[in-house]
Amino acid sequence: MILSVAMRNKIIYRCWQIVFWGGYMSVLFLQTKRYTGWQPHIVFDYLLFFGYCVALTDLLRREILRRGWLDAASFRTVALALLSAVPLSALQTLLVVATDFAFSGSQSYFLEQLPGILWTWLGVGAMDLYWIGIYSLVKTRTLGKEKQVRLELALREAELRALEAQINPHFLFNCLNSIRGLVVEDPTKAQDMITRFATLLRYNLNHDARYTVPLSAEAEVVADYLALEKVRFEDRLRLQVAIDPAAASLPVPPMILQSLVENALKHGIARLPQGGDLQIRAAARNGTLILEVENTGELTDSQSGDTQFGLNNIRERLRLLYGDRASLALRNGEGGHVVATVQIPKVP
Amino acid sequence: MKALIVDDERLARTELRRLLAQHPEVEIAGEARNGEEALALAAQLSPDLLLLDVQMPGLTGFDLLERLDDVPQVIFTTAYDAYAIKAFEVNALDYLMKPIAPARLAAALAKVRPRTGSMRLERVFVRDGDRCWIVALPDIFLLESEGNYTRVCFNGQRPLIRRSLNALESQLDPAVFFRANRKEILNLKWIDKVDLGVAGGLSVTLRGGRTVEMSRRQSGRLREILSL
Repeated sequence: MILSVAMRNKIIYRCWQIVFWGGYMSVLFLQTKRYTGWQPHIVFDYLLFFGYCVALTDLLRREILRRGWLDAASFRTVALALLSAVPLSALQTLLVVATDFAFSGSQSYFLEQLPGILWTWLGVGAMDLYWIGIYSLVKTRTLGKEKQVRLELALREAELRALEAQINPHFLFNCLNSIRGLVVEDPTKAQDMITRFATLLRYNLNHDARYTVPLSAEAEVVADYLALEKVRFEDRLRLQVAIDPAAASLPVPPMILQSLVENALKHGIARLPQGGDLQIRAAARNGTLILEVENTGELTDSQSGDTQFGLNNIRERLRLLYGDRASLALRNGEGGHVVATVQIPKVP
Repeated sequence: MKALIVDDERLARTELRRLLAQHPEVEIAGEARNGEEALALAAQLSPDLLLLDVQMPGLTGFDLLERLDDVPQVIFTTAYDAYAIKAFEVNALDYLMKPIAPARLAAALAKVRPRTGSMRLERVFVRDGDRCWIVALPDIFLLESEGNYTRVCFNGQRPLIRRSLNALESQLDPAVFFRANRKEILNLKWIDKVDLGVAGGLSVTLRGGRTVEMSRRQSGRLREILSL
């Protein structure tokens, strides 16, 4: 499709060259013919004129594109493009004079024809100005359109990449594998898991990171997610959830609790052969939401870049939405636990 | 053919067991829930084949291989980290992506060869920083002692393994691996030419250009072997 647009532009450009210079040539020819009548060398003269006008403006076009004068069209570059009409028209006039002189053979040609030459230069110069002006205008607009399309594509790609990052592929495939096993062992449970899996995927794919959701909605999805992880971890995952009713209706950025829980499983429970505890708590204090995710494990100074990446991601999202009024802290809790605490302020 | 399944998820193990039921030639000798259990079971059962999950709590699949004295043939089973297996240059028999397609399992199992029956070492697992290999013994042309470690020379690589040369020697086939001197064991199949050395011993050049000076006593033994 992009190719066909390029082809179309090329054809339009060629037609335009023929109409523009062909039209100008015809007007000049008709004027001259009134004085001289039909003379073959004049027809030849004007055809030649048409030829080099097309060739020279095309050369100019290539030069303008090569120097990128229209990519970031500023006053300076457009002025430069327009100014190039002066040398261009001078060259064209020189060629007109040269052919004219060759045919006239008059010794005093230049003196006789000086005013005519100046008029020619002015006329051709004006035409060149029109040409460059129209070309610049049209080209800047198509360039702008192309840029916009490219920008939109880049944006969509970035969004997709962000989505990919949200669904942890390791979880995804392990989960599918567990469900495959469940199909034989416990078909009813397998059905339930597939439904939960669908809910989770839908939430992952549909949520809009620019808007918040009530904590209760996020918690439902996390419950589905944990049910799926429970199938994998079985009794290695011991779960406790306590969400204060006052906190349930408070807004949270989507995926925030989900990311915290995923992080706790990945870097805590999944690393322990005997598994461990996972506790989720939510409370409201003067309108501020306090979310805590606690898991068996230990925080080391050299937490892997991976953990940091996951947490930095959450921090970045909090910063975008709340500036420095929201926070995420990670600390070693009691009894060999790690606690992640997120505080989200009341939005006026 | 004895197989050992190593995976931390019960359902994943059950699923694999069910898939393997289609392959009566494979006898599932045991199941391990993590690296430590696998280590004990491998020593007890000496399986021909490990069906090994890469990501496990405690010891990972790679950690386990590093601790095994005698590495069986390995098929990795993994949800997503096939890239890790490739990046690690581990030439495992094969790797299977979970959920496992029965046809892929059949193709992987077709490559498994039963053990020769001897108690000899068939392959070693070597890790050097971020890289690791499962090296078949015939590919090793030289073993060099470095204190409690041994340098394994194969295919342009010379990583260290955490076993002494003497400990390794007892597990090697004496018809193939020959003690050249106090510090080196060479693979007889890799000998390119033999010259007379400086101190009356032999100087052996291996394919690839590496020269090994034989001790005088071992030179005599090598002469005997080669003249046969």
